[in-house]
Order: sequence, then structure tokens, then C-alpha cells
Amino acid sequence: MGNAGAVAATPRTPKRTAAFALWTTRRRGGILAHGLVLAAVLISLLPYYWMVSSSLKTIANMFVIPIQWIPDPVNWRSYILAWNAQDFGRYFLNSGVVAVGITLGNLLLASLAGYSLAKFRYLGRGVLFILILSTMMLPLEVTMVPLFLIIKRLDWVNSYQGLIVPFLVDGFGVFLMRQYILAIPKDLIDSARIDGASEFRIYWQIVLPLCRPALVALGVFTFREAWDMYIWPLIIISKDSLRTVPLAISLFMSSYGTAWDQLMAIATLGTIPMILLFFFLQRAFIQGVAATGLKE
Amino acid sequence: MSSAVRAEPLTARRRLHIGLGVKQAAFGYAILFPTLAVLAVFRFVPMLQAFVISFTKYDLIHPPQFVGFANFVDLVRDPLFLNSMRVSLTYVVFSVLPVWPLSLALAVLFNRSLLVKNLLRSAVFMPVVMPAVVMAVVWTFMYHQDGVINTVLGWAGIDPVPWLRSSSTALWAVILIGIWRATPYYMVIFLAGLQAIPAQYYEAAEIDGAGKWTSFWYITLPLLRPTTLLVMVMTVIVAMKVFAVPLIMTGGGPADSTRVLPLFIYQTAFEFFDMGRAAAMSMFLFAAVILFTVAQIRIFTRGED
Repeated sequence: MGNAGAVAATPRTPKRTAAFALWTTRRRGGILAHGLVLAAVLISLLPYYWMVSSSLKTIANMFVIPIQWIPDPVNWRSYILAWNAQDFGRYFLNSGVVAVGITLGNLLLASLAGYSLAKFRYLGRGVLFILILSTMMLPLEVTMVPLFLIIKRLDWVNSYQGLIVPFLVDGFGVFLMRQYILAIPKDLIDSARIDGASEFRIYWQIVLPLCRPALVALGVFTFREAWDMYIWPLIIISKDSLRTVPLAISLFMSSYGTAWDQLMAIATLGTIPMILLFFFLQRAFIQGVAATGLKE
Repeated sequence: MSSAVRAEPLTARRRLHIGLGVKQAAFGYAILFPTLAVLAVFRFVPMLQAFVISFTKYDLIHPPQFVGFANFVDLVRDPLFLNSMRVSLTYVVFSVLPVWPLSLALAVLFNRSLLVKNLLRSAVFMPVVMPAVVMAVVWTFMYHQDGVINTVLGWAGIDPVPWLRSSSTALWAVILIGIWRATPYYMVIFLAGLQAIPAQYYEAAEIDGAGKWTSFWYITLPLLRPTTLLVMVMTVIVAMKVFAVPLIMTGGGPADSTRVLPLFIYQTAFEFFDMGRAAAMSMFLFAAVILFTVAQIRIFTRGED
């Protein structure tokens, strides 16, 4: 790797002796670092602030000059109007069913497959693992035309199963679970076998509980992706009653384009599930993202 | 090992009593099967079909007609297709290049001690939390002629920019959102990479009198190389696939200036119902994805030596 070389190669500048000099540079660096981070925070949060504050403005105050940073008067009616303009209760239910279905499917199938690939020996295991991994290279953008034709042939257009089943498992989840389960000691599994536990019971009562952190991270990550899903519902859903939240928001924009207060209200509502997920499962949320950067 | 290797799933199922190895192999196959089935039907079969459809003319109503390479020949002469390739390339290059230094810089900032660090880090991460469609809708509103972005620019004396209404600015507006969304995502990945660097290296360097920049240049960057390469490849692949945001914000306009390749594929298939042509276009996208994925794999196998 040459780490040692890299360290040794650092120029030998004279040691700083004055503690005071050190203290001031640290401090200056500290102020600069805090300033930069604060700028990043502002840029990250401005769209959130603008979305929520605009949802509470009256339409007359939407584009006033000078710009209104704090809504005055506060207009809560936008939320009621937007919610009632379309069947949003139903759309949230649809998104919930789809996201929960896809998440549970991924947790179950990916942990089973990961367990199989990590702890069992059988013919073709290596090839099958590579085949599963290779699906990460097949983006929906490439396969959407034939995938739509398959769903059409199955008569799953405009159905929950059409939204859920194609995404019940993917290569990333299997990879993540396999890597995690590899670290579980084989002795644990073998001693359960000697005690006469059935194979399925070992999976359910020993392997699965040990995988909890990985399962939570994968679950949160999958839920976020499923809640975010837009293109696929756009392709296979034409019935009003089966719209998901992202689909409904984009259609709301095209039909009520200038009702910005209502549009921002519905956008805020559509974000709340993700905010809650992030708020309560922050660690797992970030771990799931960090895991996409895993390598073997 | 040997008994398991010779075992076949069907005979194994019939003769469970023969040996533990066989029984276990059968269980291994059985729990892998649902995953294989889903991936076969909804990933591999569509991929093969996409390849086949790309050689046909198919409008969903009449049966597909074999046309050989006609779709591909037409495409390379089609100015709209060439335009979408160019738009995609511009999008990839300019939405990806700023993300690398920005996300690394943020990760470095968060890898030191900061006041209320966890709170600040959560705040910076928020763009990743926002659903993509919400992001498209909110930014469309912010890009409004009289919207908040032009107001802030006005403070600096800059005239209002017709962000999404002009073919010379729309793509840049979309690129900016891509950067906003991607930077905190890759910050998290860089941060994981930074935290894996042992602190002793920095301590040793400090004893040798190395400054912060020297440590960064000679310790952080070389040791972060695998993470950096990974981020480079991931950002490019993600950027190549972008299209929900331009679809919602501009529909590909004005004057085709934001019609990235995946968006054009979608529109060809589901607005013009030319499945053969869309499948042929997706082969180009597939080739690009494969190219970068293979590059990624090669980088890692080299890194492990």
C-alpha cells in the first residue's frame, strides 16, 4: 500500500514550539470550518424552508416584492384544499402498501439468499452469486420496455402486485446480507444443528436476530427507495385509485400548476414519512447509504 | 464439501436421510430460489428481451416485426438522438465533477471536531431525505421567474434568470439540483472511508511536524483512493440514469435542451409507442453502464493486490 512511505515522505518542517501559535491556527481553522459547514447547512435546508413556508402563504403573497420570508398571514387552508382536491388519503395508503411490501420482501428474500450464499456449500454457488450481483448493472432505465411488456402479459398493469413483485429483491440487498452473515461464526450454526434445531429454525431464531443492524439499515434504505419510486408507477398505473404519492404530486403539478400554496402543501405532506423515518432511524438511514459504498 | 458438490437438488430432496451435507445443500438451494426466480423473471428475461426487441418494429398493437439493424442505423442519423446523447454527456460531466471535491470537503469537515456536529451533519444530509419528485416540484417553484433564487441573486445585483424557460439555462438548473442531491450522499461514503484511516498515521505525521494540508495530501488522499474511485464510478452511473427530475421539471424542453437519454427512451416507448427504437436506444445506455461497471470492478480487483 505504501502508507508508511507516504508518512515518511512528509516534509520535515521545523516543529512548532509556540503553543500560542498552535492555538490560534486551530481556532482560526475552527471558525472557518464552522462557517463552511453552516453554509452547507443553509444550502441543504433552504428548499425545505421554502417548501414549508410557501405552503403557508396566501397565493397573493407568493411572489410579492420584497419577498416574504415568513408567511403573514399564515394560510393553513392550503393543506385542506390540497388534501381534498384529490383522493390523497388513498394515495398515501397506496404508497404505504407498496413501500412496506417491497421492504418486507427485500428483508426476507435478501436475508435468505445472503444466508444461503454465505453459509452453505453447493454446486454453482459462486456463479449464482455473480449472476445476482450482475443485476445491479441492469438499471430499470434499460429494461423498462420489456419489463412493461411482461407486466402487461401477466395482466398486472394497474395493480399492487405490478408495483411490488418486480422489486421484491435486488442484488444490493443480497450482497449486503451476505457480507454481514459471513461474519457470523459457523460454530454457532453448527452447535444449533447438533442440538437438533431444524435448518429453518436456525435461520429464523439464530441468524436473523444476529442480522438486526444490517436488516434495519437495508429496510430503511429500501423503504426510502420504494417511497421515492416514480418512473415505474408512471408507466404501469393509469387508474386514479392506484396512484402513489410521487405520481399524484407530479400530476397535481401538471393540473394545478399555479396553485403553488397547495402544491407546496402536498409536497410537504409527501415528505413527512421520509422525515419521520430519518428522525427515528437516523443511524440506520445513514448506514444504508454508506453501505452502497461497500466493496467486497 | 465433496458430497455437497455432487448433490443435485432433486435427488437431494428425495434422499434427505443420506447425509447432513446433502440436506444442507438442498436447504441452501431452496432459500436461494425465491431470489433467483424474481431476478430471472424481472431482470434477466427483460434484459434479453430488450436485446431482441431492439431488432424489431413494435408499437404494442401490431405484432413485432423483425427489421435487423434498422433501428440502430436510424438512431445514429437521428439528430434528436444525437442531441440526447450530448445532453446526457453534458449532464454527467457537469453534475458529477463538482460533487467529488464538494462531498470530500464536507466529509473532511465533519471528520474533525465541530460544535453540535451530529445535528449539523443531519442537516447537511437532508437533501438525500427529500423524495425526488418533491425535490423536482420544490426546485421548479424556486426557479420561478419571481422565485427565491432570482431574489437572492438580485441581492448580488444579478438580473433575473429565466431558469427553466430558456434552453441555455434549463440544463444547468437541472444539473444544480443533481449536485445538491448527490453531494451529501457521497459525503456519507467519504466519511466512512475517512473514519477507516487509522489515527496513528496522523499522529505520526504531527510528530514529524506535518501541517494539515501535508497530512491531507500525503495521508488522507492516498489512503482514500479506493473510496474516491468508487465514488467517481457511482456518481457517473447514477448521473447517466437521471430522468425523473428533468421529466417533471421540463419534460425535456425547452427546445430539447434537457432531454437526457433515459428521458428520451421513456418518451419514445411510452409517448410515441416505438418500442423497438426505445429498446435500441437503451442498448446504448446499457453499453455505457457496463463500461463503467467493468471499470469499477477492475479498479477494485487491482486495489486488492
